[in-house]
Amino acid sequence: MTDDWKTYKPLLLPDLPGLTDIETYEKYEGYHALKTVLDNPDTWSPEEVVLQVKDANIRGRGGAGFNAGLKWSFMPPPDGKPRYLACNGDESEPGTFKDRKIFEFNPHLFIEGAIIAAYAIRAEQIYVYIRGEYRAWVRILQKAVDQAYQKGYLGKNILGADFNADMTLHMGAGAYICGEESSLMESLEGKRGYPRVKPPFPAQRGLWGRPTTINNIETLANVPLVIRNGSEWYRRIGAETHPGPILYGISGHINKPGVYEYPSGMSVHTLIHEVAGGIRKGKKLKALIPGGSSTPPLRADVLDGLTMDSDSLRKAGSMMGTAGMVILDEDTDMVDVVWRISHFYHHESCGQCTPCREGTGWLEKTLRKIRNGDGEMRDLDLLLAICNRMEGRTICALADAAAWPVRYSIERFRDEFEAKCKQTVYALS
Amino acid sequence: MPEIFIDYQRFEFEQPGKVLQFMLDAGLDLPFFCYHPCLSIPANCRQCVVKAGMPVLNREKGTFELDDKGERIIRYFPKLMTACSLDLTDGMVIHTHHSDPLVKQAQADNLEFILINHPLDCPICDQAGECPLQILTYKYGPEGSRFEHKKVHKPKAFRLGPRVVLDAERCINCTRCVRFTDEISKSHQLTIVSRGDKNYPLTAHGQEFDDPYSLNTVDICPVGALTSADFRFKARVWEMNQTPGIDITNGKGCNTYLWTRDNLVLRITPRQNDHVNSHWMPDSGRLAYQRFNENRVHRPHIKLDGNDQVRTSWNNAILTLREQLEKTEASEILAIGSPHAPVEDNYAFRKFFKMHGVSEFFFVPDIRPGSGDGFLLSDDQTPNTNGVRLLDFKETTCKNLSSKIQGDKYKLIVLLDDSLFDRPDWPAIDPGNSYFTVWATNHTPTTAAAHLVIPVTCAAEHAASYVNVDGRIQRTVAAKETRYTNRRLNLEMSMGRLDHYGTQFDNWVDEKNRIDCIPAWEFFKKLDAEARFDWNSSREVLNEISRTLPVFEGVSYERMDTLLGVPLSISRNTPVDQKKTIEPKP
Amino acid sequence: MAESFSFDGKDLEVIRKILSRYPHKEAAILPVLWYAQDKFGHTSPDVQHLVARTLDVPEAHIHGVVSFYTQFYEKPMGRHVLDVCTCLSCQVCGGYDMLSYIEDKLGIRAGETTPDGQFSLQSVECLGACGYAPMLQVTNKQYVNHLTPEKIDRLIDDLKAGIEPSFESMPPKQHEKDNRLS
Repeated sequence: MTDDWKTYKPLLLPDLPGLTDIETYEKYEGYHALKTVLDNPDTWSPEEVVLQVKDANIRGRGGAGFNAGLKWSFMPPPDGKPRYLACNGDESEPGTFKDRKIFEFNPHLFIEGAIIAAYAIRAEQIYVYIRGEYRAWVRILQKAVDQAYQKGYLGKNILGADFNADMTLHMGAGAYICGEESSLMESLEGKRGYPRVKPPFPAQRGLWGRPTTINNIETLANVPLVIRNGSEWYRRIGAETHPGPILYGISGHINKPGVYEYPSGMSVHTLIHEVAGGIRKGKKLKALIPGGSSTPPLRADVLDGLTMDSDSLRKAGSMMGTAGMVILDEDTDMVDVVWRISHFYHHESCGQCTPCREGTGWLEKTLRKIRNGDGEMRDLDLLLAICNRMEGRTICALADAAAWPVRYSIERFRDEFEAKCKQTVYALS
Repeated sequence: MPEIFIDYQRFEFEQPGKVLQFMLDAGLDLPFFCYHPCLSIPANCRQCVVKAGMPVLNREKGTFELDDKGERIIRYFPKLMTACSLDLTDGMVIHTHHSDPLVKQAQADNLEFILINHPLDCPICDQAGECPLQILTYKYGPEGSRFEHKKVHKPKAFRLGPRVVLDAERCINCTRCVRFTDEISKSHQLTIVSRGDKNYPLTAHGQEFDDPYSLNTVDICPVGALTSADFRFKARVWEMNQTPGIDITNGKGCNTYLWTRDNLVLRITPRQNDHVNSHWMPDSGRLAYQRFNENRVHRPHIKLDGNDQVRTSWNNAILTLREQLEKTEASEILAIGSPHAPVEDNYAFRKFFKMHGVSEFFFVPDIRPGSGDGFLLSDDQTPNTNGVRLLDFKETTCKNLSSKIQGDKYKLIVLLDDSLFDRPDWPAIDPGNSYFTVWATNHTPTTAAAHLVIPVTCAAEHAASYVNVDGRIQRTVAAKETRYTNRRLNLEMSMGRLDHYGTQFDNWVDEKNRIDCIPAWEFFKKLDAEARFDWNSSREVLNEISRTLPVFEGVSYERMDTLLGVPLSISRNTPVDQKKTIEPKP
Repeated sequence: MAESFSFDGKDLEVIRKILSRYPHKEAAILPVLWYAQDKFGHTSPDVQHLVARTLDVPEAHIHGVVSFYTQFYEKPMGRHVLDVCTCLSCQVCGGYDMLSYIEDKLGIRAGETTPDGQFSLQSVECLGACGYAPMLQVTNKQYVNHLTPEKIDRLIDDLKAGIEPSFESMPPKQHEKDNRLS
């Protein structure tokens, strides 16, 4: 990565005030992508939209990094019965706070992307699932949706074309697990947010048993960019295997925390030291959690040359996740941090599968014991053993997400854990 | 035919299905908790994990890729799969704990997880002995636990409803109970509340779990979380005998197990019969055990002077009744059969009095329209209405019958086991001046009015057949001994540990639990002074019935046992065409 | 005696509108519970009963749903609920210090309500404001970012005076001029 980023003009969150207003948005090419598609159904058939988006390789921004267009292509051919698009704005992974920026500063970009996606997968109902805590942002987005209805971008015969789409905002009520796509569907259906057994996958049996595609908010916000400028243009932005603009959420011990939009593949050092103003109080960096709490933490000494894209992060032993980077300085007590992450997963485990329901609590209790100064060396091996027994043994990935930070923290910061355990004072009787 | 390889063994399958069910059907072992063949598959217990793979297909050639040794190349799923939710697929390869150490480890790991917050209170838990968690832990579980923290605490001994008690700490969140109320009984009374390791099943606030099928959740609970309020702490399951039976409180004839200890029936649970009740039965039928134990008629009772009955000998009872028969014209005998009594007893009753010249036989069905639910509760409150109909008893009503009794026409009333005076539509009358003889299992207002009461065996004490509302004939097996039966001699009766190793001198043995009664058919055999009946068992009575009555043709205890009941060619709840039945020949 | 709760004609009109957005009535459960909680301040058993009856869905199901989601209050809470985030970014930026400060100030522990029923305090999981840590949310509504003891003092005084915090926009720092060079 060169210094290009300094001249980078944000695409998702451009420096244009008042984009929440539909007229302002329209002034800056807003809804042009949708018009292009609907006005030229011969060039822009739904299949063509899927193809373009697939070719652009928009990797899912919710954490899994799956090609969005490829996901769309899994939808079966229409059979005249309802099909759904669900937009995932549950955004609950600790360290992640990016989608709310889109709601607040560029909601129409997302709405436009969602309508194009609905067109591509031939769905007429769009549900936007937003975490209940984001009530203020639901209001902002609802206003934008209302405007879109007024302007005829939503509703019946959109822009005169033979295409209808309705968008409904649906508020969660405080459950991290509802960000998991099948759990999100259960929650939307008014149930406890228990992830579903896959297969069948949502494209086969989703909401109310009908084919459904679930995309992250940021992912959908990228769609109009692809339609406006073409997939080739999009693929040239940022890292080759993980292209496009990324909303980097930077938090923790950092001088200028916040959400920054830059191309993927940004150097981690650039992001920390230049973009976000360096470590707070001039301290040294100890660790980086690159993409939300579930991504394995990286030691500061492996960050040289590391870039924020899935390939580079995988090689370093972590993941892109949601690009919610948590910066931890030299004074951080890793045991304490990992305990708190474990506490989070313990609290958020839905309780459906045995290994996760029981394992998350066991991890937390053991980590709390070490943190409280009662740890023993064997507890570290026990923690690793519990992680082994949780990973890959459950319906959804929450158990993995809970195990990884523990496993990799112990592997990478074992000295700290051992030091904590060695401090334990034993009673002599 | 499509094939599947389980632990290197080849199996063929015809129907699509799931791997776990296929393995269970094939008699292979795999541990599981949440799966139930009648319920949806949540795959939440994660106990039935297997390693699964598919052969790699060469799409161009349409054949499977082979390795150097000519074996199919298998591509395994990256994670262990739950067999309960895994579709049978042609060519699939499955490794269980028998052939894969990782699977074996995963099963033990999962049990360790399940047990960390489980109270491990088996010594005081009612489920112990029949607890899948206990059994599977012994077989597949880890040696011990490494969990050293405080367990999660939840409500204990919580009364979920009138019949079900919850110990939430024992719950492993398999959700079988919730799925039962959602999918089978459809009362939707249960849900899982809270989240994560605080989860447990509960009703809505302030609502009782009074589903008429609530006790089925106790049966399917794979741990001791749901127990029966009635049966709690009554007996350890390994002390009891388990004997197949039929629910006699209802016309549906749910198949049951009677659980006895020292000749008391302590509980009744459903026995699987997919033709009748699947795995379920209504709660009401489970309470029938009380009438098998309590308030029984013990030895014949006779009224000498005034209204008080006294116990008398069998010999005296027989002589008294013979005397009554001698001095009564056949036309003066009112013979009433019973939809509560089995086919054999009604047949013997009818045959005996027919030989005495009685030509008309009545019975009063107890059908209460609207009381059924279209599932396992029928409007018919009796187990054998169709059986009595098929034996050519005339249906009548309480009103008609009571007016017959009050009139002067009949001098002798003989009533097979039916407490007519308890029926809601029975007019309050006394039996007039006629001599009133009743065969009965329990003391009732009807027996209290009788001059002579002959104690007969109940459904828990005899092997006998009942025809349910759908025309299916099914039979019971003797579960508790009478004064005249003996488990050691009657090989059909079950022998529990206490029967094998105990003696009659053990302090837990109570002779009073063995009732002084005999089957009705046996009484009529004894009653016949000319000894014209040669039956030695109810089996032989039924054989005679099937020989002589075409509608029962081909019916035998053996067939009922192998086929779980035999459907007779009659349609549900319709009166049987009287012409089809042939008069029983002496 | 339990309070009785009911929906009036206007409420039923809103609920009818909610129902029209979904193919199955069960999907309206979460929105209607939200609506009920806004109206009554909680989703206690009586409110659950009302929602179950209004939507004609099993009450046990409502109970299961309410107890699954942490934002629904099964028990009535204080007039203002302070949800202090203590998760990850907020933890390392002093979330627990802020929580203790409020605990001391209000004289209650997390999970409790002040005797006068004014404030409930909770330590909660990530609220998605990691860049503005430490922070809290007031009664499922506005976020209060970059907490300091002074800010907390002001907030509590305001709330006592009946002034709810207003929406605090956090525009991307990227657009600030001085961020271009570092």
